[in-house]
Amino acid sequence: MKRRRNARTALVAYAYLAPALLGLFFLTIFPILGVIAISLTNWSGLEAPTFIGLGNYLRIFTTDFYFAHSVAATLYFALGAVISGIIYSFSVALMLNKNVPGRGFWRSVFFLPYIVPSIGSSIVWSWMYEANFGVFNFVLRMLKVGRLQWLQDERLATPSIIVMAVWGCGSMIVIFLAGLQNVPKSYLEAVEIDGGNAWHKFRHITIPMMTPIIFFNFLMSMISNLQIFVPAYALTQGGPSDSTLYMVYLMYREGFMRNNFGHASALSLIFFIFIAALTAIFFATTRRWIYYAGE
Amino acid sequence: MESSRHTTNLAVAVVVSLLGLAVLFPFFWMVRSSLMSNIEIYRYPPLLIPKNWRFINYAVTLQTFPFARYILNTMTIAVPSIIGVLLTSSLAAYAFARLDFPLKKLWFTLVIGSMLMPGAVTIIPIFIAWSSVGLGNGYTALIVPAFLGGGAFNIFLVRQFLMTVPRDLDEAALIDGAGHGRILFQILAPLIRPVLISVGLFTFILYWNDILGPLIYISRTEQNTISQGLANFKSGFGTDWKAIMAACCMAVMPPVAIYFLGQKYFIEGIVLSGLKT
Repeated sequence: MKRRRNARTALVAYAYLAPALLGLFFLTIFPILGVIAISLTNWSGLEAPTFIGLGNYLRIFTTDFYFAHSVAATLYFALGAVISGIIYSFSVALMLNKNVPGRGFWRSVFFLPYIVPSIGSSIVWSWMYEANFGVFNFVLRMLKVGRLQWLQDERLATPSIIVMAVWGCGSMIVIFLAGLQNVPKSYLEAVEIDGGNAWHKFRHITIPMMTPIIFFNFLMSMISNLQIFVPAYALTQGGPSDSTLYMVYLMYREGFMRNNFGHASALSLIFFIFIAALTAIFFATTRRWIYYAGE
Repeated sequence: MESSRHTTNLAVAVVVSLLGLAVLFPFFWMVRSSLMSNIEIYRYPPLLIPKNWRFINYAVTLQTFPFARYILNTMTIAVPSIIGVLLTSSLAAYAFARLDFPLKKLWFTLVIGSMLMPGAVTIIPIFIAWSSVGLGNGYTALIVPAFLGGGAFNIFLVRQFLMTVPRDLDEAALIDGAGHGRILFQILAPLIRPVLISVGLFTFILYWNDILGPLIYISRTEQNTISQGLANFKSGFGTDWKAIMAACCMAVMPPVAIYFLGQKYFIEGIVLSGLKT
């Protein structure tokens, strides 16, 4: 009797899981195998693919200078955006955690850029960065400093896009703030009783208690920032001098603008391994710095 | 001691307000630019606020920026997708939270692990698969994935919320002979309404803001979504900044309005995703 009920439950469970499992296979597992297969071919999508073995990889690692530029640009952007984003959002969260007037209002304000369409925010920022009539150069002009070319300057394009990304990372502020509110007051009071000051409280209670949340935000923001696409597509087209040729944009350009599906798939797989390796390294370091309550 | 704490709090309040105003500045600059004449917008020293608010800029922009059509197209994708996400992510979340079945751990790990999977990696084989069945150009390829589990993130979110609901309720219902469908949709659904609203709102924002999907699957201009329409408008009217800012205002307004209406759910959804891991 019990056994029959268990079998029935299992049947129901698989029925309920069916859509998600179909998704797991058709949107993740098979496509990964597909990327591997297509990456071994030369394929424009029109005629039949021709098998060329590791030809695409050979080209990427030897003659394709776009790839090297792209890895450099992507790492530069992602590291810049993640580190500045964490510092910005953690500092704002710490300040909001004090009893500032209108805390709820400001929290909504800081979160707001997160829900704006990235194409819209990219365009608005590109207007502010505009070389002749943009507000940033207006300000520089009033300060009697020379104009900057911002998005048209290969040294400034990625830093300018990093500023946009940091502006848009309001969700991390909300997560940090919620985490800070969960830090037990009694721990902080214990430090006070022992004669510790604000720095001691921050260094020995707040930071250790927050490490799991810092880890989560770091990981999620790393994965999403490595996939930066919209500013490169809408504002800079990978330029100037490939300084914003981020990997997803390069993949998109090879695959969907130049119809080199084989080459683009090889790029995708390298990109996947690249992110997986970064994630693995990051996970491997967690034992050393993450504090888990109760362990 | 008390007074020094008072001054630090005041300093923090000032810094927070200044930073907050800086965060709002791009919104202000967008609206302000959208209401100016060409002479005002290019003037130096710059005007903070237009002398005459030229709402006519919006009427002019609308002649080449079919906003209503874009809304309709975007909603054609977003509405069925929201339904798909809510339905299939709740079903999967219920199975993971409430039912025992063989290989549960394995499937859970795989589904949650796919959250770390960068979506950009698989766009080419998925596009080729849709093209091979003749659906590489149109809305189908953008809607169907929502019905395939609704994304690992949402499954996880709903499951986390379900775990906080005591099991007594559904066990009582089970003894009374209710099926799992009734338990999920009639007993539990009302209790987990907040998380369902969060998931629905985030899904709306996701589809409203998506650009890569439409770029790949929608090539006919009359089918363009709002993000796509905005990108095309920018590349077509590159230097008419007042018109471009008016178009941006229109595209940005709906998500902002929805955010302010459902703020509580946005914040709770984000907090739940970040703290329960």
